[in-house]
Amino acid sequence: MSTIDDVSRLPPPTPPPLAPLLEAELAELPAVATRRPLRQLALLVAISLIYGAGMLAMLTMRRDMHELPIGWLAGAGLAWLLGFVVPVYLATVPRAGAVLPRWKFAGVSAVAGALGFISLGLLIHPTGPSSGHLDWAHFGHGVGCLEFGLATALVPVIGGAIFLRGALPVGSRWIAAALGAGGGSLGGLMLHLHCPITDGLHIGLMHGGVVGVAALLAAALVPRATDLR
Amino acid sequence: MAEAKDLMTRYCDGDAGAFRELYALVAPRLLGYLLKMARERALADDLLQQTFMKVHRARAAYVRGADPLPWIYSIAHRTFIDETRKHKRAVVRVGEAEELPEVPAGLTGESDDRRDDTRPDPELLAAALTALAGLPVQQREAVVLTKLDGKTVAEAAEIAGTTVGAMKVRAHRGYEALRKLLGGSGEGDPKATSKAVGGAP
Repeated sequence: MSTIDDVSRLPPPTPPPLAPLLEAELAELPAVATRRPLRQLALLVAISLIYGAGMLAMLTMRRDMHELPIGWLAGAGLAWLLGFVVPVYLATVPRAGAVLPRWKFAGVSAVAGALGFISLGLLIHPTGPSSGHLDWAHFGHGVGCLEFGLATALVPVIGGAIFLRGALPVGSRWIAAALGAGGGSLGGLMLHLHCPITDGLHIGLMHGGVVGVAALLAAALVPRATDLR
Repeated sequence: MAEAKDLMTRYCDGDAGAFRELYALVAPRLLGYLLKMARERALADDLLQQTFMKVHRARAAYVRGADPLPWIYSIAHRTFIDETRKHKRAVVRVGEAEELPEVPAGLTGESDDRRDDTRPDPELLAAALTALAGLPVQQREAVVLTKLDGKTVAEAAEIAGTTVGAMKVRAHRGYEALRKLLGGSGEGDPKATSKAVGGAP
């Protein structure tokens, strides 16, 4: 379409002079410390793990730990840990040479994490003689686990939002969802080490549900803090 | 002229001259993009200033060594979208006494006093720009970024905050709509063109 090609060859317009407000800012321009994504990731992971460990120390380790298959305990713990680190990595660290984080992959990791942990919790839940049980009538009593998980997710979500201020002109909801899912997975890891209830519904909907609920809450709230104004 | 990432790095280190160089490098292209999106010179100028103000406030979010252009374009894109939403929400009635004088814009949005008279086929270009203006915002942006600004589909998707697939679809639909409107040769009545796509004047 030759006419459109002609339009593309038009010389660019002359921009206006800088706004007085910006000129005033430039008159005294301080140096700023720019974002260092890997350093921020390391800091965020370290602070979140210390906070999670502190939360766990206030409670107790699960009483049936020595009765459960060690392979399942370690494997599930590793899965929860990866569920924390991977979305937070994708949310905070852009690909080489880019400023914008990988919001598409981060969003995919949030959705996959939420669905994966809910499904796995419903399907795989070994039990021991000392494990606790909640029948369907008392299912709601397990809501404390959801609250504990969400409380654990607070630090990674808030820390991530602080680190990403101004960096997200687009994709902020998906990035926020990934931070929420990562924080929720950290909560899931702490619950995995603390809660002795082994019913599939409880593990799937309360422990796994933390990931989904934290992702949704973060997606709704965090962009207000990270968006540019 | 230095590369955008070097200028951005020096600017973050407190070099105001580097910011001015960055503005001189990026602002014309960015203004061209905003003009094709906003369709009004005054609004495009305002969006450009807002964009650079946001870049200035958010410069600590820059990652050293990275290309700042997609990030700056994304900020411009977001600023345009926010402004469009604001205009949709606001119902403003301006009385005759309060009406502001409108400076007519040229084909690239330049006012009469700035216009360069050496451009080819002004009628055809006007038809093309009018047809472009009539496209839905997402299709217009896709055509402007991929066809007129020479961005790759991946770069355009990153700027607009969408997937590569969605950007391809938007660009294809927008380009097909333009092709129909301009009849291949690019000729057509600008008024008829605008009506045909059901777009704004």
